[in-house]
Amino acid sequence: CKDLDEYDNLNPKAATTVPGVSLVSNAQRVLANTVNTPDYNINPFRFYVQHWAATTYPDESQFIIETRSVNRYFWDPLYRDVLSDLNEGKKVITADAVLDPKVKANQLAAVEVLEVYAWSVLVNTFGDVPYTEALNADNVLPKFDDDAAIYADLVTRLDKAIGMFDASAAGLGTGDLYYNGNVANWIKFANSLKLRLGMNYADVDPGKSKTMVEAAAPNVFTSNTDNAKITYLAALPNRNQLYESLVQSGRADFVGTTTLVDPMIATNDPRLPIYFKPVAGSTNFKGGTAGAPNSATNNSIPGAALENPTLPGMLLTYSEVEFLLAEAIERGYAVSGTASEHYNAGVTASILEWGGTATEATAYLAQPSVAYATAAGDWKQKIGFQKWISLYSQPTQAWTEWKRLDAPNLVKPAAAISEIPLRLPYPTTEANLNTTNYKAASAAIGGDVVTSRIFWDKL
Amino acid sequence: QDKKISGRVLDAASNQGLPGVTVLVKGTSTGTATDAEGNYSLNVPNTGTLVFSFIGYTSIEQPIGASSTVNVSLAADTRQLNEVVVTALGVERSRNSLPYAATQVGGEEVTKARNPNFLNSLSGKVSGVNIRQSNNLGGSTNVVIRGNKSLYNSNQALFVVDGVPISNANTNQSDQYTGRGGYDYGNVGADVNPDDIASVSILKGAAATALYGSRASNGVILITTKKGKKGNVNVTLNTGSTMGFMDKSTFPKYQKEYGAGYGAYYGPNEDAYFEQFNRPDFEPGSLYVPFQQDASYGAAFDPNLMVYHWNSLDPTSPTFAQKTPWVAAKNGPSYLYKNTVGFNNNITIDGGSDAGTFKLGYTNTKDKGMLPNSQINKNMVNFAGSLNLTPKLVTSANINFTKIDGLGRYGTGYDSWNPNQQFRQWFQTNVDLKEQKDAYFRNKQNITWNPRSATDLRPIYSDNPYWVRYENYENDERFHYFGNIMATYKFTEWFDVMGRVSLDSYDELQEERNAVGSTGTPFYSRFNRTARETNYDLIANFNKNITEDFTFKGLLGSNFRRHQINSVFAQTNGGLVVPRIYSLSNSVNPLNPPFENDQKYGVDGYFASATFGFKEMAFLDLTARRDQSSTLPKGNNIYYYPSAAGSFVFSELFKDTPWLSYGKARVNYAEVGNDAAVYSVFNVYGKQDQEINSSTRPSVGSFGSIPLFSLPNTRNNPNLKPERTKSFEAGLEMSFLTNRVGFDVTYYKSNTVDQIIPIQVSTTSGFNFQYVNSGEVQNKGFEVTAFVNPIKNDNFSWTLNANWTRNRNKILALAPGTENLVITTYQGGVSSNASVGQPFGTIRGTGYTLNDRGEKVIDSNPASAYYGLYKQSPSTTVIADPNASWIGGVSNTLEYKGISLYFLLDVRHGGQLFNLDTYYGYGTGMYPITAGNNDLGNPSRGPVGEGGGIIFPGVKEDGTPNDIRIANTEGVYGYNQPRQMHVYDAGFIKLREATLTYSLPAAFINRIKPFKGIDLSLTGRNLWIIKKHVPYADPEDNLGAGGNGNYGLGYMSGSYPTYRNVGVNLRFRF
Repeated sequence: CKDLDEYDNLNPKAATTVPGVSLVSNAQRVLANTVNTPDYNINPFRFYVQHWAATTYPDESQFIIETRSVNRYFWDPLYRDVLSDLNEGKKVITADAVLDPKVKANQLAAVEVLEVYAWSVLVNTFGDVPYTEALNADNVLPKFDDDAAIYADLVTRLDKAIGMFDASAAGLGTGDLYYNGNVANWIKFANSLKLRLGMNYADVDPGKSKTMVEAAAPNVFTSNTDNAKITYLAALPNRNQLYESLVQSGRADFVGTTTLVDPMIATNDPRLPIYFKPVAGSTNFKGGTAGAPNSATNNSIPGAALENPTLPGMLLTYSEVEFLLAEAIERGYAVSGTASEHYNAGVTASILEWGGTATEATAYLAQPSVAYATAAGDWKQKIGFQKWISLYSQPTQAWTEWKRLDAPNLVKPAAAISEIPLRLPYPTTEANLNTTNYKAASAAIGGDVVTSRIFWDKL
Repeated sequence: QDKKISGRVLDAASNQGLPGVTVLVKGTSTGTATDAEGNYSLNVPNTGTLVFSFIGYTSIEQPIGASSTVNVSLAADTRQLNEVVVTALGVERSRNSLPYAATQVGGEEVTKARNPNFLNSLSGKVSGVNIRQSNNLGGSTNVVIRGNKSLYNSNQALFVVDGVPISNANTNQSDQYTGRGGYDYGNVGADVNPDDIASVSILKGAAATALYGSRASNGVILITTKKGKKGNVNVTLNTGSTMGFMDKSTFPKYQKEYGAGYGAYYGPNEDAYFEQFNRPDFEPGSLYVPFQQDASYGAAFDPNLMVYHWNSLDPTSPTFAQKTPWVAAKNGPSYLYKNTVGFNNNITIDGGSDAGTFKLGYTNTKDKGMLPNSQINKNMVNFAGSLNLTPKLVTSANINFTKIDGLGRYGTGYDSWNPNQQFRQWFQTNVDLKEQKDAYFRNKQNITWNPRSATDLRPIYSDNPYWVRYENYENDERFHYFGNIMATYKFTEWFDVMGRVSLDSYDELQEERNAVGSTGTPFYSRFNRTARETNYDLIANFNKNITEDFTFKGLLGSNFRRHQINSVFAQTNGGLVVPRIYSLSNSVNPLNPPFENDQKYGVDGYFASATFGFKEMAFLDLTARRDQSSTLPKGNNIYYYPSAAGSFVFSELFKDTPWLSYGKARVNYAEVGNDAAVYSVFNVYGKQDQEINSSTRPSVGSFGSIPLFSLPNTRNNPNLKPERTKSFEAGLEMSFLTNRVGFDVTYYKSNTVDQIIPIQVSTTSGFNFQYVNSGEVQNKGFEVTAFVNPIKNDNFSWTLNANWTRNRNKILALAPGTENLVITTYQGGVSSNASVGQPFGTIRGTGYTLNDRGEKVIDSNPASAYYGLYKQSPSTTVIADPNASWIGGVSNTLEYKGISLYFLLDVRHGGQLFNLDTYYGYGTGMYPITAGNNDLGNPSRGPVGEGGGIIFPGVKEDGTPNDIRIANTEGVYGYNQPRQMHVYDAGFIKLREATLTYSLPAAFINRIKPFKGIDLSLTGRNLWIIKKHVPYADPEDNLGAGGNGNYGLGYMSGSYPTYRNVGVNLRFRF
């Protein structure tokens, strides 16, 4: 028989060395899926911001989180797949001896931007999380870091990354699922992300917020073509997650809520027939009740645009950037333009992004109930409301912005088991596996409950 | 020196010749066996002693004298204390000399009740052995001896057939054994032909198995198959058939008062129990059943209320566009279930001469299951032959070939392929299964009771169960061949060398499908797997008496083991182009890369053993084995496994004490191992998800043409070493009153250390799991077997055998800093855990909140969503311990002339399970508990303001008795409550087997040549569950039978009912 020494105990079907970019590509895919998927086992935020309500099984829309470990399925891919693969990709790219130094710098800077993005999502969702001691396989009991401290480091890293980019050299190449290796786009993306993070500081550190926003503003997205997005493919398993939930599953789990549908009807929003379908057998739109079971046949279900398997998944859009700029002006930051101009540009960009026309946008904005000067409420409510509509397919960011702006005013569903979550509790696995650090973090944030606030969520 | 002795061995009771008796010159390996008439002849030395031994009879020793004829009569020994027992590496030893616990079960006992899976027929018969079986057709059986030792590696006993280690693996997906769904393809060990089994030895402790080294930690089931004997050619023909009938106590009973719906949420205003659709061809303003709702918290039945049902929508239905009364179903879910039928035919031909022996057997079994379109066929051929090339050189070969064809195995767990997901968890009590059947067979379409709406007839959550059975079926086949070739050369009377090459090999194909028109994406998948294990053994045997009183047996050997497993799993992508064509090329989208697996590994072992005996009274065994395994890091992969064992037959000192027939004490210590799984040492990148203990997510290798790589979810460990089990055992065996009553008690304690565990780690480390060598699990317990033979005379005898096992399992340590290891998580928010200080497999989930007095606290906060329900503790609460406090069996054998009545009670006491079926099913209002009247005598589902509603027994948070009356709505009896509410005692008492056998009298047989014997038997299996605590289900039918012995413990989901099996068997001997 074969000599024992001939068995190398190496799986012949697995790789021991791989291209670094292939790890980054995987991280990009998982990141886009995780923050935008409508799968309420992973991402329940469409329910939280009341874009959608459930049909037969309303648990997650009533903020029941533990039963299906929703928090774990949001947490795990961000750490295990996104950040871990980015971290590994960074190591492989760094160790590449033949890669052109400029290209290498561009690749590492892009990885850094993606890491900052992913970390910000984790902090915005959970508060304190393992950061400085995370992603180290030799330390399975990492301490949790203070959320504000993590943010401060992210800002530093982001600035450093922005400084590393060189638009004259190549980047991640075709493995870049967001920008196909275009470094100029990455510079805009990094600055737009800086704008987003800078605005998150507005209520806790206005000075820092102002500095960051003003530094970033000249270099942010200027049109929808700049959007950070993943363009999904027609074939499984790389279709848009919306398609998988709405069409492929064969189920009918979601309807629009009155919270979203009613004001869209009232303002003749051109996005309404895109976002939703009319009630079956009629031409009327009708929202269901948030947090309650709803009939899929008597209410408007998500629209045909969402059933397109190749619908891009958005990470950061021009429309969001414009709303941030409008807000910056309202907050007195030195940014060009007027709040109204940026508001109009944000709304228009959103309508165009969803396939509407400029004419439709103009007509929509012309209505007193929509026009910036005459719409109801203060600037926070005006911008917050439009931003909430525009982030229809970016549930994670929609929830983050709602928490920060406290607009629109969402009413907790009658059957909810808690207030509308301001954060997700830590996964049970953390409580079980990293108990001491979990307890310390829970105490530090004021309890591992949905009502504890992220550091920037002062108001 | 030689002379020839011949003679005849008779059964002392019948004076018939006794075939197959071993005749051996004591202290040597010279011997033979009697032929069919009981005759033997043998060349023997001039002096010495002949030993006549046969399983089930008291051995007799006769000195070799001057006579050339030695005739003896053997008396049946009800206790078989002196029987020959097959021990590790096939060494036969007298029970007298065994210094450890080993139980031998005769082939008759295994086949008695005609169970197609011989493993199931060990249940209740052997102390220390925990058999876990399911009610699934051809489903897996787990055999765990003396408790779960390994936290992650397999705890399944090693199976050895005539020296060939054979796999008891199953190829089930992790989703199957963690209750998420999939099929149970059964375990490979079940491919052994029960009719070919001569005896089964169960070696329980490490001392008994230490010679097997790094795969010995879980005990060994040694199977010896029947061999041909010298003498005439014998032909045995067996033909049997069985039928099974559902045990109704293991199937749900449904409430008959309310039908479909989750509540009054429907209609245009979402406040009614019925829907109103705009369907122009139907009567306007009519009521429609809320078809798309898979619950029964809807409107009260009213035969005068005419509504549109699901079958009003089907244009081919006789009730199309007609309203029919709103009533409970006439034919409930049990209508889908059928009586089972099984056929079993076997023929065995054996014979031999001085030149050699042969045996040829063929068995065919056919089992039709409880669900439509389900069937398993087995064809088994066995050949065994030996040839004495010279008086010194004996060669033999043994080949088993088994082909298993499965069709329509039952879906398991929480899966649309399992009809019990509907019937036990999510269902409408108004759905008539006969109508579902008719609806499917009219056009062979998926006409479900659960369409999306009145105008969209596609299924939403549940398919028509008949559609599932006839369209979404699986099929599988397995070719399994195992056998060996062997040569023994006898250098001298006391020294021989045996060389053997053995092979266990199987090829299997599993095909699964989801037809176009079903819920979920249509697909076809195929899984091809080949597995080969080759063993090369070379063993030298020494058998030499040092002095007359001082005996020595020695063994020196080597074993080279080589494994290879190759598999490919491929599945269509995005649907099927042409309905009902099941091929990979029929995929809508291009295929994703198939999942390949290629495992090659080996172990080299060298071993030695020595047995010293003194005056047949004291024995000492010493063994040692050195293993080198390729799955461990090179340079650090050699390990040693020692054992020492002693026994003392103290009754030899009390030969004058008439009441004491036999007494033996024994004690031993051993260390054995369990090496690492292949490829768990080096780190690699994954192109496809490689998850452990997790619901598999779709494997993604690329994004279009862009390759995707990822770090795997499990981190390997370059410093692994084998797990070690250190075990101590002591036993006392005594019998009294000429062996009419006796017992055997064993105490054992084993500690398994250096556990190779992929501990779940915080994913913040970048991994879900990391392999470590850490932790310690202790098992200790008592095993008792006892017998009494109260009546024994020429015509009538009554024998009572009992066995009792109590195992206590405890996790003493895990990795440093780790207090809990999540074995797996299950649907329903519960998990299986190994926690320090707890037994293996505790179920965690939300529990009751108890106050200081131990009373269950009710949530008394009116603002709470759980107001009036039990207040829930955190989901990390230990709510169930799946380990039985003891298991046991009692068998009775009554014999009167040629009639024998046998029955076996199988008992499991304690152990708990979480029942997902009632957790969901009580929540969706299908069961009687959710309907009927409340404490006030009013319908509990009525409005609270009108005297309806329910009060859960307990106390409010202020300590006063609960008086909060809440509405009886969906969820309140099920999923809105703590998980602990659905934890049940999993104990049972079962009448496991009963047989009535009649052997036609020899006098009669002799007149109707050519028969040598005719036996007629009536058999019964699982006839009666005498006691159980789990409602509407068989507590045994949880998922514990799948996987490697570690999963599914204490978790029930989509359970299948028990079937009472009765059969007739006829055996002819020619």
